[in-house]
Amino acid sequence: MTHPSPAGPAAPTVNASGVSITGLNKSYGANHVLKGIDLTVAPGEVVCLIGPSGSGKSTLLRCVNLLEVPDSGTVTVGGFEATDEDVDLNAMRRHVGMVFQQFNLFPHLTVLENCTVAQVKVLRRGKGEAAEVARTNLERVGLAGMEKRFPDQLSGGQQQRVAIARALSMDPQLMLFDEPTSALDPETVGEVLAVMRRLAGVGMTMLVVTHEMSFAREVADRVVFMDGGVVVEEGPAAQVIGNPQQQRTQDFLARVLNPADVDF
Amino acid sequence: MSQDQPGRAPVPQLDADAGPAPVAGGDQDAARPGGARRRRRLSLGVQAAVFVAAIIVIALAVDWQTVGESVFNFAAVAPMFPDIILVGFGNTLLYTVTSFAVGLVGGMLLALMRMSAFPPYRWLATVYTEFFRGVPALLVFLAFGYGVPFAFGVQWPIPVVVMASLGLVSAAYISETLRAGLQAVPKGQYEAARSLGMPGWRAMVTIVIPQAFRLVLPPLTNEVILLTKDSSLVYVLGLAAHEFELTKFGRDGITALGAGLTPVLVAGLMYLIITVPLSLLARRFESRSSRGSRS
Repeated sequence: MTHPSPAGPAAPTVNASGVSITGLNKSYGANHVLKGIDLTVAPGEVVCLIGPSGSGKSTLLRCVNLLEVPDSGTVTVGGFEATDEDVDLNAMRRHVGMVFQQFNLFPHLTVLENCTVAQVKVLRRGKGEAAEVARTNLERVGLAGMEKRFPDQLSGGQQQRVAIARALSMDPQLMLFDEPTSALDPETVGEVLAVMRRLAGVGMTMLVVTHEMSFAREVADRVVFMDGGVVVEEGPAAQVIGNPQQQRTQDFLARVLNPADVDF
Repeated sequence: MSQDQPGRAPVPQLDADAGPAPVAGGDQDAARPGGARRRRRLSLGVQAAVFVAAIIVIALAVDWQTVGESVFNFAAVAPMFPDIILVGFGNTLLYTVTSFAVGLVGGMLLALMRMSAFPPYRWLATVYTEFFRGVPALLVFLAFGYGVPFAFGVQWPIPVVVMASLGLVSAAYISETLRAGLQAVPKGQYEAARSLGMPGWRAMVTIVIPQAFRLVLPPLTNEVILLTKDSSLVYVLGLAAHEFELTKFGRDGITALGAGLTPVLVAGLMYLIITVPLSLLARRFESRSSRGSRS
């Protein structure tokens, strides 16, 4: 169901799809990383995953598009039963955009080629159409005019925005963000968050692993706090971040929000 | 054999300043007598003295008369031309290019087998690599030149024998180089490609392999240099005149022309015409890849 997008809709409407995760388990050897996770993301919803490092957030995110294969449990994305042995993973991944902490732009390709290569090779779009889609999305992330640059000629924030444009160029129905601002210089964090905020505004389904509490509080429809491989607490952002019920959530937020006050 | 030292790129460091550089700030030495700068000057002086002494000894010891007749007797080697260029130089190039083509394709195949999830492929590739890195290329030449007709009753043309023997040997070396390159491409590149819906083979072909090639261009260029020189090993097989390459021309010239070693010197210079530009190219690739992450 690749809908050949007409050249450059300025205010794109998103054909969103949701995520449903049940009973997800994942171990690395003796290390039980995910312990029976249940999680749903409704179409058009923005969910932020927060929690201490090592809590399993990134692993959970990577299980959604099967970059990590769960040991048991089910993941359903849109109409795709991702954990079904017979599912066409490549077909599923076309609908799921992913943005990595380390950007993972293709360093041997220009900014434009980064955004067109998968359109041409996977969606079989013509070069002209792919370039048109890529330009539209580069414009959306505020990088018009950078098409001919190579990734190493851009700042971290610009690279991450190219990575977002690259994912958007596939017309995804769901976007996964794996700590998208953790590798950035502080002064470029804002531009990436602004792009994500705009994306949430047009109704994109988003699952975001982040340490940016103010972003989560402002943009997320729902916040999920994970610790030790389980979901400890979830609910509206204002409730989980503003008025957490669980002791572990309170401790975590105290450490994150007021790092200068932490006693040992 | 020579391929054991892939780093042995035969380019003399011509641009290094050989003589003692005049030291401008000599008066500053007075401020700290016996300082590092003074020791450095002393060291340069010693090096220059040894250098000059060696040249004097050689100049006095060598019988220039004989050397002129039997090493630099360029007038006597005229009969080698134009065949040494049209046939010898051409064949050396042909043998090198064809065996490199075989080595590159085979090396890539072996490298992918080494990284395969299917264990027998890994074992096969390991055995192959260890075998062909472990036996002298000369023996492989003999095996294909004399063994194949003996075993199958067909005599391959010499270019095919060279292509097969050198190609199979170099595939073993090239596969190790390529494997290192493939493994040096960050895993995130493959993951990003897969997350965009590319099948595994597509992610390798479009994203990983091109980056790996840029990383291994310098060592691959060195491999071509080694192949150029190793193509001389074909002398162990009986060659028809149109199959002669540079070394064969040089050897035959010794007996035919009465110009001593001059024909060998001419052949050697022709090898350098091929290898020095390659070496310079490799160095350019190296400096380019160390400059930016784009390589």
